[in-house]
Amino acid sequence: MKTVPRQIVAFGGGGFSMESGNPLLDDYVLGLTGAERPRVCFLPSASGDADHYIVRFYRAFSAHRCEASHISLFRREQGPEDLRRHLLSQDLIYVGGGSVVSLLGVWRAHGIDEILREAWESGVILCGLSAGSLCWFAEAVTGFHGAPRRLEGLGLLPFSNCVHYEPGSKRRESYHRFLREGMRAGYAAEDGAALHFTGTELSRVVASRPEARGYRLDVAGQRVVEMRIATTFLGERGVVPAAPVPEALSTAVAA
Amino acid sequence: MGMAAGNGAAPATAVRRILALGGHDFTSRPPDRAVCELLLRLAAERGGERPKICILPTASGDTSEQIGRFYAAFGERPCEPSDVSLFRLGRRPMALRDHLLAQDLIYVGGGSLVNLLAVWEAHDIASILALAWRRGIVLAGQSAGAMCWFEAGITKSSGRPLAAAGLGMLGGSLCVHYNNEPERRAAYLAAVGDGMPDGYGLDDYAGLLWEGEGAPTAVTARRGARAYRVCNRDEQVSESPLPARFLPAPAPAALREDIAEFRRIKTMRKRAGWLG
Repeated sequence: MKTVPRQIVAFGGGGFSMESGNPLLDDYVLGLTGAERPRVCFLPSASGDADHYIVRFYRAFSAHRCEASHISLFRREQGPEDLRRHLLSQDLIYVGGGSVVSLLGVWRAHGIDEILREAWESGVILCGLSAGSLCWFAEAVTGFHGAPRRLEGLGLLPFSNCVHYEPGSKRRESYHRFLREGMRAGYAAEDGAALHFTGTELSRVVASRPEARGYRLDVAGQRVVEMRIATTFLGERGVVPAAPVPEALSTAVAA
Repeated sequence: MGMAAGNGAAPATAVRRILALGGHDFTSRPPDRAVCELLLRLAAERGGERPKICILPTASGDTSEQIGRFYAAFGERPCEPSDVSLFRLGRRPMALRDHLLAQDLIYVGGGSLVNLLAVWEAHDIASILALAWRRGIVLAGQSAGAMCWFEAGITKSSGRPLAAAGLGMLGGSLCVHYNNEPERRAAYLAAVGDGMPDGYGLDDYAGLLWEGEGAPTAVTARRGARAYRVCNRDEQVSESPLPARFLPAPAPAALREDIAEFRRIKTMRKRAGWLG
């Protein structure tokens, strides 16, 4: 049996949810599948399966470039009956933003957490932004409910994670504090940057905006060591991608 | 019983009240208006003239549709409506516990029972609701929002009707949409036959109101809509309809204004001595 690489691409923020008009991160994950017409399944659970979000996914992942589907855990009567079979048959599983606390609760209730581990191990590429990034890690910083707090994710990646890691943000400050208080070392990504893991190793950081970066965070004694990671801009050099549209932030702005 | 507890400082003797509804909507049709009137009355018994009523639309995934219909039904009525949307806290952070415990009535909307309980557990909502109940805040809901209070129910959260556990604040089990979903009713009868605790079947527009200890009162907002006691006696599952109090529909909003106008004119005339 051929061993397939296990891959996760964790966006700090970006893709169709936040960067309408800038498909660089979405194109990147589609490209990783190596399939001519990849099968992509969207999991909008963190948004409560919001209709407008699902519509935007289908617009971004149109039929001419992939075979798109979604799973609504709030409307199971409409979707595929065998969730496991459906998810394991995908090339890419794309997790949307929203409340990571609710996401994990609903996934566990439907056994999605176990299925996603199995999918990952069998070579289905997992990706997502915001809540859809935090969920893959052992520990995460969520800022969805006001003051940032710590929580445990699925633990496929044995690190901590922080998204929307913008300079001067409350999350950044809180993440550093959590690290000093004993949170395990990990990775952070700014909006527009994505952490690409092969197995449990970070293989590269890519970005849809020239200035977006990923970071490695370690603790030495009581000191947090933040290391900026060399990031590959996915667009053409010299071409500045369209700025994110503010109203497009509404669904997935926090995790 | 006017225990105007106001903002949660309830007496130790607070009567625990739960209203479980088999199914309804928030339209302007008479049976829906009758249900809203009952909710409003229960809230007012605790909170006075402008009671606080909050919807938890969790089971629907906090859809704008469910929230919008709730506000359309209660927005113009004498109450203070609000919603706690756990999926939308990112845009509107709030102190969940304080907000919920300041209510007079908490209404839980329909949807997926499994998701409802999973999300509540993730956010630790169940303990707040149990405390609210003990303090005399009325708990109400329809469909998944009714079954959640019981030990067990029949949910279609996974597509097919299946047994699922609830919070267990009320003993026994509940099956909703009893008249409208034969496969759900069949699954319920089979489950009770198989050892699910005895309980109740509720048609759409039928409800059961628990006030303190003892048996619930059955209510119905539509002629023919019934509440059933469902019991397993020696491997035989029986369904017996319960006598129910009919809830009349209040006049629709537009008509209420006309009536109020008519009364104002009548009063003016009286004052002017035009009428006897």
